[in-house]
Amino acid sequence: MNHVKSERIALTLACVLAFVFAFPYNVSAMHIMEGYLPLAQCVIWDAAALPFLAVGVVRVRHVLQSQRRLLILLAMSGAFIFVISSLKIPSVTGSCSHMTGTGLAAILFGPAITCVLGLIVLIFQAILLAHGGLTTLGANTFSMAIAGPLFAWFLYKLGKSLKINRKVNVFIAAAIGDLLTYCVTSLQLATAFPGESGVTASIAKFLGVFAPTQIPLAIVEGLLTVLIIMGMESFAEPELRELRWEGEIKA
Amino acid sequence: MSGILIALFIGIMLYGRVPWLLLAALCLGAAVLITLGRHRNTRFLTIDVLAQVSRLNRVSADLKFWTAIALTAVCASARSPATGVFLTVLMFLLIVCVGGLNPRDYLRLLALPASFLALSGLAMLFEISAQGVGIIRVPFFGTWLCVTEEARNRAVIVTTRAFGAIGCLYMLSLTTPTPDLIGVLRRTHCPDVLIDLMYLIYRDIFLMLSMYRAMRDAAKSRLGYVNYPTQVRTMGNLYANLLACGYQKAKRNFDAMESRCFDAGVRFLERGTTAKAPARAAAHTAAAIGIVGLSVLLR
Repeated sequence: MNHVKSERIALTLACVLAFVFAFPYNVSAMHIMEGYLPLAQCVIWDAAALPFLAVGVVRVRHVLQSQRRLLILLAMSGAFIFVISSLKIPSVTGSCSHMTGTGLAAILFGPAITCVLGLIVLIFQAILLAHGGLTTLGANTFSMAIAGPLFAWFLYKLGKSLKINRKVNVFIAAAIGDLLTYCVTSLQLATAFPGESGVTASIAKFLGVFAPTQIPLAIVEGLLTVLIIMGMESFAEPELRELRWEGEIKA
Repeated sequence: MSGILIALFIGIMLYGRVPWLLLAALCLGAAVLITLGRHRNTRFLTIDVLAQVSRLNRVSADLKFWTAIALTAVCASARSPATGVFLTVLMFLLIVCVGGLNPRDYLRLLALPASFLALSGLAMLFEISAQGVGIIRVPFFGTWLCVTEEARNRAVIVTTRAFGAIGCLYMLSLTTPTPDLIGVLRRTHCPDVLIDLMYLIYRDIFLMLSMYRAMRDAAKSRLGYVNYPTQVRTMGNLYANLLACGYQKAKRNFDAMESRCFDAGVRFLERGTTAKAPARAAAHTAAAIGIVGLSVLLR
């Protein structure tokens, strides 16, 4: 097809504009930035995350009392979550995006351990990468290390009891868990900044802003999670069986 | 891309408040600054490297930690933009002039949160309403996207607050090596399981990264990233293999630890501070008085 010059320019411009506005730059869109929430909200989310963390820490401690070796394996798992959630993943749009790893961790290690590892990973991300922050740690922990993994784990269990195909099940759990994380983040931002039109309209607004990046991202995350879990079962099965007291590795 | 976002954000924030020529210059300047900052190839975990070479890294980690936390709290509860602006400047001076960090590095590190702030700032500025009200009105499928004066004031406060808080966070993370920070947490009586895990995870991150780099290069040299579907498949296999290799390494580490009388506790040596005890006490008191004074002054 031959275009005249003005048409070509218009087309290029349209593509550039679509690119700029439809797929905003996506650095740590899931993490709430340091200082972004008012202090009262930070404290509320800290308090909301605390009971889950307490349960997680108690669980981990009990497990470690019986098997000291698991400390080392758990630490490696935590480093793994940090690494995969900080590295860029191939994104359709070429923008810079990260996996959250919430679904993967929940399916591999179970929700109680995921919340402890998630907390540590979030602290390191705040300190080492400036993703998220220390005051917003509670809010981020709640959305990324508690709500997302719990939901993903629940979906995975549900899918298993309904005897859905394993790959489809993992995909659904990871992708929906990822989307839920992002809904919780939007809820947190919306309750902090309700605007004039109320919290509901504000949620819709924040969901709308992040949706173009998060929905494709959730799909990629789901696909990657399936690949990783399938690969893992052939590469690392003995270790995963050791960690299996709670996490679901193999049917 | 983030440059355009930031320029747009600044444009809307200052629209009608400054002459249009200055406005255009400011927007353009911000966009150019961000774009130039982004073009450089930043290494992964730059912050950790910079913290190790900072001139402030021998100052007591406890002092830095509690100061950063207190200042962030002051900043997060501020009701005027002055607090945020003041803290941003103060932290810039502390990190760059006292800590000896290259200002260009610092600006590059700030560019990252700035683009996030601009994006969510835009979301906060625009409201959808049936009638066009406010300073800026854009028709949008039968309704209006409006920016009101009130929304703009709120966005100013939130943005300055966030910048101040990010400054405090950077003050902590760019001057304090992570093991020292974990030491602070240990002294606050965090559960020992958490502390042990943090020490080990911090070390494992570097092991994992070096393994990741080797695997990525191997995959790249075998056309593992040649197109999008291959890329996703390579990534999945690589991550699975990464965890498997990580576990192998962890098991060898455990055997080594066990043979050296590992009894479930993990302790590492911490670097001492150069300051003597009285000097340290004086510094702590001065910091406490400074923070209280600041929070009273800046309310």
